[in-house]
Amino acid sequence: MPRPGFVLDVDRSTPPILFHHGEGFRLEKLPAGRSRVIYPAEPHEPLEHPDAAIRDALLNPLGESEPLPALLKPGMKLTIAFDDISLPLPPMKRPDIRQRVIEAVLDLAAAAGVDDVMLIAALALHRRMTEAELRHAVGDRVYDAFAPHGLLVNHDAEDPDNLEYLGTTDQGEEVEINKRAADSDLIVYVNINLVSMDGGWKSTATGLASYRSLRHHHNVRTMQHSRSFMDQHRSELHSSNWRMGKVLKDAGVKVFQIETTMNNNVFGTEGPMSVLQKREWEWNAKDRISFAAMKAGLDRLPQRTRRSAFQSWQAPHAMTSVQAGEVEAVHEVTTANVYAQHLVGVEGQTDILTMGLPYISPYNVNSILNPILVACLGLGYFFNLYRGKPPVREGGVVIMSHPTPWEFHPVHHPSYIDFFEQVLAETTDPIRIEAEFEKGFAEDEWYRHLYRTSHAYHGVHPFYMWYWCAHALQHVGQVIIVGGDVRAVRRLGFKAASTLQDALEMASDTVGPDATITHLHNPPILMADVT
Amino acid sequence: MSPDSGAGGGLGDWAGRRMPISARQATDLIKRLPVNRSVANGAGRAGTRALARALPAPLRRPTAPDGVELLPVKSKVGANYDTDWARTYPARAARVLLVEGLIRPVVDLFATPTVKGVDRLADLGEQPVVFAANHHSHIDTPVMLSVIPEPWRHHLFIGAAADYFFGNQVTSTLSALVIGAIPIERTKVTRNSADQAAALIDDGWSMLIFPEGGRSPDGWGQSFRGGAAYLSIRCEVPVVPVHVEGTGRILRKGKNVPRPSPTTVTFGDPIVPGEGEDSRRMAVRIEAAVAQLADEAGSDWWQARRRAAAGDTPSLQGPSTGAWRRTWALGDRRAGRRRPRRSWPEV
Amino acid sequence: MKALRFERNLPRFAAATVAGRLAGGAGAKVGPLRLRSIDPPHLPGPGWSEIRPRLAGICGSDLSTVDGHSSRYFEPIVSFPFVPGHEVVADLDAPVGSVPAGRVVVEPVLGCVTRSIDPVCDACARGDLGNCERIAFGAIEPGLQTGFCCDTGGGWSTRMVAHASQLHPVPADWSDEAAVMVEPTACAVHGALAAKVAEGDLVVVLGAGALGLLVIAALDRFAPPCTVLAVAKHPVQRDLAREFGADVVVEPGEIARAVRRATGTMALGDGDIVRLAGGADVVIDCVGSDASLAQGLAVVRPKGRITMVGMPGHTRVDLTGLWQREITLAGAYAYGTETIGGERRRTFDLAFELVAAADLGRLVSATYPLARYEDALTHAANAGPRGAVRIAFDLRNEKERNRA
Repeated sequence: MPRPGFVLDVDRSTPPILFHHGEGFRLEKLPAGRSRVIYPAEPHEPLEHPDAAIRDALLNPLGESEPLPALLKPGMKLTIAFDDISLPLPPMKRPDIRQRVIEAVLDLAAAAGVDDVMLIAALALHRRMTEAELRHAVGDRVYDAFAPHGLLVNHDAEDPDNLEYLGTTDQGEEVEINKRAADSDLIVYVNINLVSMDGGWKSTATGLASYRSLRHHHNVRTMQHSRSFMDQHRSELHSSNWRMGKVLKDAGVKVFQIETTMNNNVFGTEGPMSVLQKREWEWNAKDRISFAAMKAGLDRLPQRTRRSAFQSWQAPHAMTSVQAGEVEAVHEVTTANVYAQHLVGVEGQTDILTMGLPYISPYNVNSILNPILVACLGLGYFFNLYRGKPPVREGGVVIMSHPTPWEFHPVHHPSYIDFFEQVLAETTDPIRIEAEFEKGFAEDEWYRHLYRTSHAYHGVHPFYMWYWCAHALQHVGQVIIVGGDVRAVRRLGFKAASTLQDALEMASDTVGPDATITHLHNPPILMADVT
Repeated sequence: MSPDSGAGGGLGDWAGRRMPISARQATDLIKRLPVNRSVANGAGRAGTRALARALPAPLRRPTAPDGVELLPVKSKVGANYDTDWARTYPARAARVLLVEGLIRPVVDLFATPTVKGVDRLADLGEQPVVFAANHHSHIDTPVMLSVIPEPWRHHLFIGAAADYFFGNQVTSTLSALVIGAIPIERTKVTRNSADQAAALIDDGWSMLIFPEGGRSPDGWGQSFRGGAAYLSIRCEVPVVPVHVEGTGRILRKGKNVPRPSPTTVTFGDPIVPGEGEDSRRMAVRIEAAVAQLADEAGSDWWQARRRAAAGDTPSLQGPSTGAWRRTWALGDRRAGRRRPRRSWPEV
Repeated sequence: MKALRFERNLPRFAAATVAGRLAGGAGAKVGPLRLRSIDPPHLPGPGWSEIRPRLAGICGSDLSTVDGHSSRYFEPIVSFPFVPGHEVVADLDAPVGSVPAGRVVVEPVLGCVTRSIDPVCDACARGDLGNCERIAFGAIEPGLQTGFCCDTGGGWSTRMVAHASQLHPVPADWSDEAAVMVEPTACAVHGALAAKVAEGDLVVVLGAGALGLLVIAALDRFAPPCTVLAVAKHPVQRDLAREFGADVVVEPGEIARAVRRATGTMALGDGDIVRLAGGADVVIDCVGSDASLAQGLAVVRPKGRITMVGMPGHTRVDLTGLWQREITLAGAYAYGTETIGGERRRTFDLAFELVAAADLGRLVSATYPLARYEDALTHAANAGPRGAVRIAFDLRNEKERNRA
């Protein structure tokens, strides 16, 4: 029976707590009597017969929707869109959920005699997926059947011939999506809802959209008014996407949404990595030895080897539920399932929020976590994993632990390098950044060329990373990074400390000497339900 | 060559009577002339019997006196060969070493198998299953032993033809040890073989079986018998259909020397016996599944699914036409175009 | 008198070359540069006068000479043994020609006039003293500049001689440090103007040592309005570059990216830029190494212009880009007369203006007595990492100097 998440009040007999530190770990002792640690729930049991559950969901849809076989007719145009490389995190063992769902959908399509099928990786302005990544996501059978004929493609948001403008919402937000998808008789969207931000109308309205559409909700104002963007009902990001969903519906775009949830079994319950998922006082002798050995081994390895070792980890997380049918009905059930795994009740806020950042974010799979992504992972994702109020009070301090190397992947993140060198050197204020620099980067021809032909994130993407931090930057008083490269941290506009104790010392300038601390023991993923 | 030619000790009167030449001369002659193999073997056996007669008293086989009732000799080979010893720990350890150290490298050398569809087995956990594959060549068994994934590979037994693989002590021992075989009657599965197989499956062993019964004589499949289906229903384990492509090119029935050639093994979705399904109907299902896998290996998965949905999957047994047209149609089946072998003239 | 003299001594030269390769300035210890007590030079003729150096700067070309890096090109146009030092502010005791007594700055080029050649060559007639064709002929030994000629002496000593045409009076309110910066500033001014910058150009200045920083200052004052992108490795250099008017300052590895950002051009090679498709209009190379030349070729636009102000030696560089993109590669040496604002003005006069306007005297980071010449040369060779710009010899306190 998996235990729920809980909040531990740190006292003198609490052992040192595990902090993730990029491609490494630290054990930190939090001050007793004024710290608490939020532990995630243990992984829920996965579905025993996932393929059967998927078929069942397709035949028994939620909301006002016919079963999928009834929607498939010979001679129709079918588009299957699926989530890109940014999900799940870390990548899961084969067979991927998307492979299972897509094969089930295609089975029904074959039975119905559908000929015109196209599969699109709905990556919006993310980077194109490589062949190996696509094979991992959809499986070799589907890849070999569709890719050689050009029927399995990456969405190209900068292809003027493949975008269709569908209208504007009542708040002036333009809706423009992939033309093939818009012209289809049916879009089947295959989601992996890793966190409660994913899914719903965001899948089609963002995943298949262009810059013209995205800039209406990927901006500072929207992010500052999303408290948090993980909570659909208090998120301006979601409201905007839902408005766009209405435009899509009115324009006649039919979407059969399939959403799936996963448990948070990131490191496994057995094996050498399982120690990272266990509560520190429950580490047995074998765990302690394997942790010490792992830490010692990692410290000796060169950075590149460490990085490739971590990036090659495939997590054993598995599907816990699958829903299909009408977008909003499906999303409601899915979100409830996501909350069931992630939510941990937390009472009140503290002065300081600490977090250990792991090696992976949605935007550096098989790549390098550069300083901008460090900020986005900490102040964007981890900070926003709350419902109600942030676990840290307004004006408090956020302390993140990550080596923050001044290193960028030149193929995946070329515009990030320029953003870091040029824009952040000038200012770190998101509003100024948006006003003065976004347009130049968004319309730069070279970035556009690399996005379309190489494997680079779009020129405007680093801006989105910075906007993701906008709510946190507005809310907290100071941000400190422990163990990071000093120059890089300063360029981000944060303060650098070498140890957690130093960081707490520095924080006392902002929050006073006896500040209360919350530590998010994340990953595995948890979401604080703060009352 | 006239019968009167030759010096002493040469070919004498050999019109059906005992040949007045030595055994060694006879075997030499047999090697050089195109003679029926079984006759040649018979000559060999005759030679060994002659050798046995030459041994001193206690070592040679005693002759039976007249008027005595001889005990019935129970054949210990063939279907009666007891293979339990091959499933003891030391024998299994030896088999693991043989499979990993000898069979796999040799198979990689000759057959370089491409394995597809293993992810379809991800949900099976560790329960025993019955692998049902098409059969074209003796190479099928080593190839399957190499590609079946853990946890089934080293927990596997194979139903092998009793008369061929368990013909004598030597072949029986080798079959049981190296490939973990148990004897199965070729013509009709007897109670004994079936019970033995069922008992093993219940014990957690997985089975590899070729439902066609024997190797394909002409490259096309034969109809699938009910053995795999019967066992699956009786022991309530799923059947994993497997399609093996290319082993016919390596070592076809009738040939003795293997020729390297690439192979493809495609695993299919496990087939679970339905409520009250009978083995004949399930055998048809299994054959259809393997046929779909053959289609998938030959073209791609989507086209195979479309043809399966429309009922157009090409049959494993080939067209019902004459022999040369069947062989002709075989060439169409192979996936991809074979690059014509270019040979430059010797000048 | 006491002087640092560069002697013709092959084994020592070889030793200097080896030492110089291992560490900058190390050639001073083992090389042909020796601290000697020698006779002061004689006056070669009328119009010449003896001067007593006060401060003498150490220039990049001096360091190359000491470390054995300079090219054999110079052999016919220098005469051994010579006293180095061509950046000199000195005391003139008695007026000579039209130059009053007092402090003077030496314009080191030894043109026709100093060599008593009459009529002068075309270049000297035009005022382009740096292009004089007679630097190996005439009344004095071969020597392209004071500081490379055995007859004139040089700044790294307590006494030297100079022709009246070489002397520029120093305003009374100037510091010695400001005066000693005039000669390098003149080099920079000439280089900046030789780069032919047009209005609105993007100018990349490679190298932020003394020469690079002075070029930036010169561009700021004398060139048409343009965007200057400076490449600086060390924080002191970066701050000074920004202060002197560089619009963008980047580190050496980021130059291609910065130029791409500034011009919005496409680049070849995916995110890892190989070279730019377009590029900067003008590149001024104040370093003169293989790497800097290759960098210049990679970031200048087709039909752009690379001006080499820093002295190169034997460089190996792939010139395919030069040919394919129709790039102009030009050299800029020393000084003479510039055409600016439609009129002809001597470079040294412009240099005086710039030194005063930008307070360039503060670039003299440290001075050394002659006796500590090894430290001085090491410091000069490592100026960047040690946060220094210009190192000079301080002759004012040398005992011999003040004796009659």
